[in-house]
Amino acid sequence: MKRLPVLALAAALVALPAAPVLAGWKLVEEDKPVAVAKSAMRVTPSENWNRWTARPVKQGETWTRDGVNLNELYIVAGLPAGMTLYKDVQKKERPLPKLSAKLDLTEIPEFYESSTRLVLNTSVFQMTAVEPAKMGGQDAVKFAFEYSVEGSPLKRRGMGLGTMVKGQLYLIAFAAPATHFFDRDKAEVEAIMASVTF
Amino acid sequence: MRNLLLPTLPLLALAAASPLAAQDVVPPAEAAVEGAAGARYEPADDLERSLWFQMEEAERSLKTSQQVIRDPELNAYLRDVLCRTVGPECAGIRLYVVRSPYFNATMAPNGAMTVWTGLLLRAQSEAQLAAVLGHEFAHFKRRHSVQLFREAKSKSNAAAFLSFTGVGLLLSIGLMESIFSFSREMEQEADLDGLKLLSAAGYDPAQVPLIWEQLLDERDATLVARGRDKDKRKARAGLGDTHPPSQARVDYLRAAIGGLEPAGPILGEDRYREKMAAWWPQFLDDQLKLNDDGGSLFLIESIAKANGWTPWIAYARAEFHRRRAAPGDVEAAIGHYSEAIARGGDLPELWRGRGFALRKAGRTEEARADFVEYLGRVPDAPDRAMVSTLAGVN
Repeated sequence: MKRLPVLALAAALVALPAAPVLAGWKLVEEDKPVAVAKSAMRVTPSENWNRWTARPVKQGETWTRDGVNLNELYIVAGLPAGMTLYKDVQKKERPLPKLSAKLDLTEIPEFYESSTRLVLNTSVFQMTAVEPAKMGGQDAVKFAFEYSVEGSPLKRRGMGLGTMVKGQLYLIAFAAPATHFFDRDKAEVEAIMASVTF
Repeated sequence: MRNLLLPTLPLLALAAASPLAAQDVVPPAEAAVEGAAGARYEPADDLERSLWFQMEEAERSLKTSQQVIRDPELNAYLRDVLCRTVGPECAGIRLYVVRSPYFNATMAPNGAMTVWTGLLLRAQSEAQLAAVLGHEFAHFKRRHSVQLFREAKSKSNAAAFLSFTGVGLLLSIGLMESIFSFSREMEQEADLDGLKLLSAAGYDPAQVPLIWEQLLDERDATLVARGRDKDKRKARAGLGDTHPPSQARVDYLRAAIGGLEPAGPILGEDRYREKMAAWWPQFLDDQLKLNDDGGSLFLIESIAKANGWTPWIAYARAEFHRRRAAPGDVEAAIGHYSEAIARGGDLPELWRGRGFALRKAGRTEEARADFVEYLGRVPDAPDRAMVSTLAGVN
């Protein structure tokens, strides 16, 4: 079964992420605003990150500091209606949900959860908090979750910030092992979330 | 496919199978099926030993898996059904309940059996559960994994051989034909052995083909909802077949049932329902998050048919419509939430869900009232902050 790197999260998981030949990592320098997936959405990290040159979806970028197993930031800038959050690699047997233009921002956590459960092939996934927030001045939803994947005793934690603008999804989601890594990078990720401009 | 199987190895968390459960069992007068389950199989050569080692290694690393449900009562019940079905030889089996919404069960040659929660959601009686457990046990007793491995080796069948690395030694009921298309005979053997075990234990064997028929129907519902053609119900499996439940299976099972002595027709429906009542809502919720509209609706309908109306089935229906959000779904969802509430449902999520549906329908004031009710019922709700804002009670 061919797996693309896209399963950004899946890389952390069980399976064997076969990166395409040309995919690599590029430095995202600290303290410099950077456009996400060539969109108008910009973020400013305060640490150095690495960006995967292969995009999971056209509007999405995967960043990490120490490898996606240990910290993975998935940023989606303007996912249009009808598209899936991750690359729909198993679309015949396990299609991912498609974004609806009518999606309410309160439904973003459900959309994220359903997509992520399918990509990770896990049912051990739980939302632990959902609260209102701001993203680049827009009303947004912030959420926190826990999950683990098959074959691993590791508990992982994550958080996300998302909004809908003109029927398109903007989302930043972070996931890391609950042990050490999540807490270590939480403040940095929150700073990135707070740095969003459109 | 590989990634589907991997999860199954984690099984091993030597779960809570109560050793006491086996004591109640009345063993069948004589062994109903052939094989030698007693002695532990010893790998015969270096290659087998290395495979065994991989399996045990994988099991060890999975003993701490978060996917295994360790609830003592649920595990004791499954072990009880297993022992009722196969007799005292159940002592050689370690049973793990794996939280996964798909229909599957697996058997490893070292005695590790997994039962996936998607199977518990789909089986509608104890007899159906027993059928699957008996089938898996028959694989174990006949050492099918080992036979398959030997066969693959002797034929130098590269593709088959590859399928044995690591997880390949697991026999999986849900995926059987896709992985081991060359082993249909063994699959049939296990089906027929399972039938004999079931019948000898007093369960109604007529329940067995029903499971497969229901799976075929569910598969059709899934495909139709996705705008695809239904699978062809071929009586013979083809080389490229990927989906397990086949019409052939239903056919030979029906034929075999005709030849069995009439046995005590135990269904165990009530007991099964009672034991599963606490779990089905969670298992169904996992199903609803699969983006499988056709399959989910089919399951809700069949569970409703078997159980009659219950508030959690109404809740599941409502959630299904709210999530699908096709034209007319918001109204349907509101209707089901309201019916559940009117008929005494007290799950707090009923008000939460109806609140979201009402909000979507533009009935903001009513939505707010529901959100307030939800917050009152679950003061520490994980989404309290969000719902409070929507309720206007910041």
